[in-house]
Amino acid sequence: MKPDGKVVLLGDMNVGKTSLLHRYMERRFQDTVSTVGGAFYLKQWGPHNISIWDTAGREQFHGLGSMYCRGAAAVILTYDVTNLQSMVELEDRFLALTDSASPDCLFIVAGNKVDLTDACAFLPESEDKQIEKPPNSFISTKVKKQVHVNDAIAFYRKILKYKMLDEVNAPAAEKMCFETSAKTGYNVDHLFETIFEMVVPVILQQKAEGLPQTVDLNNCKTAKNTHSGCCR
Amino acid sequence: MSVKAFKLVPAVEWEILMGDRPRINIECVECCGRNLYIGTSEGSICHFLLEEKNSPSEKTPFSISKQLHKYLSVRKAVGELKAASALNRLLVLCDNTITLMNMINLEPIPTGARIKGALMFTLNENPVNGDPFCVEVCIVSVKRRTIQIYLVYEDKVQIVKEFSTREQPCAVAVDGHYLCLALTTQYIILNYNTGASQDLFPYSSEERRPIVKRIGREEFLLAGPGGLGMFATVDGISQRAPVHWSENVIGAALCFPYVVALDEEFITVHSMLDQQQKQTLPFKDGHILQDFEGKVIVATTKGVYILVPLPLERQIQDLLASRRVEEALVLAKGAERNIPKEKFQTMYKRILQQAGFIQFGQLQFLEAKELFRSSQLDVRELISLYPLLLPTSSSFMRSHPPLHEYADLNQLTQGDQEKMIKCKQFLMSYLSEVRSTDVANGCKEDIDTALLKLYAESNHESLLDLLVSENSCLFADSAAWLEKHKKFFALGLLYHSNGQDAAALQLWVQIVNGDIQDSTRTDLYDYIVDFLTSCSDHELVWKYAEWILEQSEEVGVYIFTKRPLEDQEKNSFNPDDVIRCLKKYPVSLVKYLEHLVLEKRIKKEKYHTHLAVLYLNEVLRLKSLGMERQEKLTETQAKLRNLLKRSDLYRVHFIIDKVAGTDLHTECAILYGKLEEHDKALHILVHELKDFSAAEDYCLWNSESKGLPYRRKLFHMLLSAYLNSSTSNPELNMAAVDLLNNHAAEFDAAWVLQLIPASWSVQLVSSFLMGAMREGLHSQRMTEIALSLAKAENLIYKHEKVKLKESPVLLSDRKLCQVCQKPFCEPAFVRYPNDTVVHTHCAAKRLVNSNTNHHLSSSSGRT
Ligand SMILES: Nc1nc2c(ncn2[C@@H]2O[C@H](COP(=O)(O)OP(=O)(O)O)[C@@H](O)[C@H]2O)c(=O)[nH]1
Ligand SMILES: [Mg+2]
Repeated sequence: MKPDGKVVLLGDMNVGKTSLLHRYMERRFQDTVSTVGGAFYLKQWGPHNISIWDTAGREQFHGLGSMYCRGAAAVILTYDVTNLQSMVELEDRFLALTDSASPDCLFIVAGNKVDLTDACAFLPESEDKQIEKPPNSFISTKVKKQVHVNDAIAFYRKILKYKMLDEVNAPAAEKMCFETSAKTGYNVDHLFETIFEMVVPVILQQKAEGLPQTVDLNNCKTAKNTHSGCCR
Repeated sequence: MSVKAFKLVPAVEWEILMGDRPRINIECVECCGRNLYIGTSEGSICHFLLEEKNSPSEKTPFSISKQLHKYLSVRKAVGELKAASALNRLLVLCDNTITLMNMINLEPIPTGARIKGALMFTLNENPVNGDPFCVEVCIVSVKRRTIQIYLVYEDKVQIVKEFSTREQPCAVAVDGHYLCLALTTQYIILNYNTGASQDLFPYSSEERRPIVKRIGREEFLLAGPGGLGMFATVDGISQRAPVHWSENVIGAALCFPYVVALDEEFITVHSMLDQQQKQTLPFKDGHILQDFEGKVIVATTKGVYILVPLPLERQIQDLLASRRVEEALVLAKGAERNIPKEKFQTMYKRILQQAGFIQFGQLQFLEAKELFRSSQLDVRELISLYPLLLPTSSSFMRSHPPLHEYADLNQLTQGDQEKMIKCKQFLMSYLSEVRSTDVANGCKEDIDTALLKLYAESNHESLLDLLVSENSCLFADSAAWLEKHKKFFALGLLYHSNGQDAAALQLWVQIVNGDIQDSTRTDLYDYIVDFLTSCSDHELVWKYAEWILEQSEEVGVYIFTKRPLEDQEKNSFNPDDVIRCLKKYPVSLVKYLEHLVLEKRIKKEKYHTHLAVLYLNEVLRLKSLGMERQEKLTETQAKLRNLLKRSDLYRVHFIIDKVAGTDLHTECAILYGKLEEHDKALHILVHELKDFSAAEDYCLWNSESKGLPYRRKLFHMLLSAYLNSSTSNPELNMAAVDLLNNHAAEFDAAWVLQLIPASWSVQLVSSFLMGAMREGLHSQRMTEIALSLAKAENLIYKHEKVKLKESPVLLSDRKLCQVCQKPFCEPAFVRYPNDTVVHTHCAAKRLVNSNTNHHLSSSSGRT
């Protein structure tokens, strides 16, 4: 079955991409093994089939990223709120991969593992009833947040700049930055469902235009953001 | 994890190939139809015929026979072999040259056509040009960074394209206009028609041998970093998740739905459907793995083997046997496009059903139900698992081969009662869902009977719903089961729905009598009453009438009084019969007579009299009991009075005789009223009872619908009764004053003035006088108005008459009667207001015929 649209999760290894997807699709959190290469799920959303790709964050598989992103309707750039480096990597390494995404691709910034941070609120959505309390309450397991929502919003603006998109036309940064916890389930459904809602019009438009979900190589002028100089 | 998807079978062993020359190696393999070619390291080609055997049970499913062993002119390794069967040519790459040979005798073609300077080549299996007399060949040239496209005909070759790549290509595959190339550091897709290229992903050809494998239309499989098998379309998209091979993978082949890969020690099999590794076969020293039209061949340097796929159904059955439902279904579904539609559907249905039973066996009811539903399982397969549920008469046989391994539920649950109950609950809900769907067609009896049994056994409340709604429960089976489980009430319902009301009633009566125990309904007696009330078998009603009345006179009588309307209309119960039957049950009898007299308003003297007498007796009886039954007495007395007042049918004299000598004065007065002996009645009311308001009431209800004069007469009589008593009684005087003042309109003032004592002051009766005056004036004025209106009306008619007479009516010979169309021969005629003129006799006839037609008769004249 050919999916109607594609959503791709990008981000450094260990930020919790696989866990997020697993939490959303299987409604569970369990220890994952490091993803090899990539994997995908099909999600039925209304009349549409949306494929969600989980990619491998490992440096080794980095080269595959742009192939996964090609024609994507949405890219979720994922970082770990307790790890500053994971946000740096998004900018340094992963942003360039989105060059191959569809020109009207949506960008979402998701900060995962908020359950680990001190400021995190707990969490009406949580499905895990038993939230582990530290057995010894003198020692807090909470750590300090290293990346804040404002940083994510700033990063989102950078994405727009990189894509040469006008901030006025693009979805508002506040709407596109999420903080989640795959462990507790916090905000996970919200994240995915917001994206699906926004992706559907893109899918419909792609269908209406009868375009393949790709940049048409024979027709470079429509793709304003391809930096290729190969056109004759 | 493992599925047995393939069997590894040796095809060509070293001895057959080379005999005793151990230094020679197998370099390449080609298979085309039944032809198998092997290229060796010493520049020779070996041709074999591969014959498939029909019986798959044999150890080797094919036989092999050597045809030819041909040496080429140069003793160098044969790099590649490709057959073009449409041209009957074998393309042989040796010493950087591709030569064309006859496929059968391996002779070089006479023209000597060849392609020089090729490092490697591949055929386009999906060419765009569509010319059947040529094949498209893509070569990697010995010139650096150069690719060439040739068209190869039977005896000539022709270059069509040459272009350079940005890096040296080291592997290539073609589909349509697209080349998938492994360059030194990148995989790319190249459209050789437009020259457009698309990077896929980087890799290092130095570290690892690249693999580029066409796996279908516009899709390729590539060896990626970390031993990934990456899928890529010509658009540069990955549509399938990668498969995970080992790092040192040498070759890959496709045999749907599996991707087979070879490394130094193993052959691994992954499913393209779920990317899982399914099978691992140890295989040392392999260096070639290729698929040829669905045949997968592996080779070491010394021998050739065939990977024979096991039949898909076998694989699926193996998966099901190890309860890997999900995988089995994915595999089956994935095979859809490779199997004829009909065959697939039958197979797939069966697999779904098997899967359903596996889920069922694991008590995964939700999943099981979905599988049963989507595969339209014959529900009896499921029912038959439950001991004793299928009716003995059912002709059902489980399908063969069986869909599951269970003999019955006992085996499945191993006696675990809790599981057993869950299974039964599942079946109940499933059956109740499917019984009204298509699935139930042809086995409604079996389903409903099974459902009934389950309900009965588990005390389920739906048992009754099932029985009272339309159902197909088999009688004998169901009856026996209900009896066994002591569901006697339900059994009665079953009897009823099978037309055996007598049996049903007998059972229920036994329950009420306590002869048998069933507490399903605590109000069973009421239920029976209802049942008999609407029962159309009247003999049954009569049969149980006594029993019913014995239980409760009040409720029991409903069987006569609450019968459905159509029954009442037919009057199928003769009231006299009923009354006879009710003799022993006075309460019922009263209720029944009330029903006849008050509700149905039957105008028969005897019922009215009978009811009056019964009321009367009851009143007298209650009176004799004194104060204790006061309330009941008041109630009954009210009923009696009401009847006496309202009904005109009872025998008044008969009742009067009964009342006489009792103290039922009011009743007595009512009765006198009925006889129009008003002075007697009023006498009683005024002088014995001194109940003046009752007396006024008496005047009012006795004159109801009898007109003003009659009412006046009564009121005058009452007034006389007040005033004409021998002793002047102030109390009566007051009553008289009140009467006059309150009912001024009911009196003739002149007559009253003569009657009232002269001693009364005007003040006393001023209200009466004013009312009387007003009434007098009012009626005078009303009369005048009426008179004037009548005069006016009269005038209008006169005016009309004059108008009509104004114009003359001419009658000539030519004028015809409008009715009979004949001329007039007499001077008399009839003229209608609309000027139509007709014969008098015609008009008369018309008048008779249509009484409704007013205007025709309105005027007539004569000239
Ligand atoms: N506390 C916490 N741990 C998480 C969360 N999400 C993922 N993890 C853990 O982080 C590690 C990496 O997760 P994984 O999903 O494999 O990350 P990926 O490499 O991005 O796919 C695993 O040990 C997870 O258990 C989260 O929301 N909260
Ligand atoms: Mg992962």
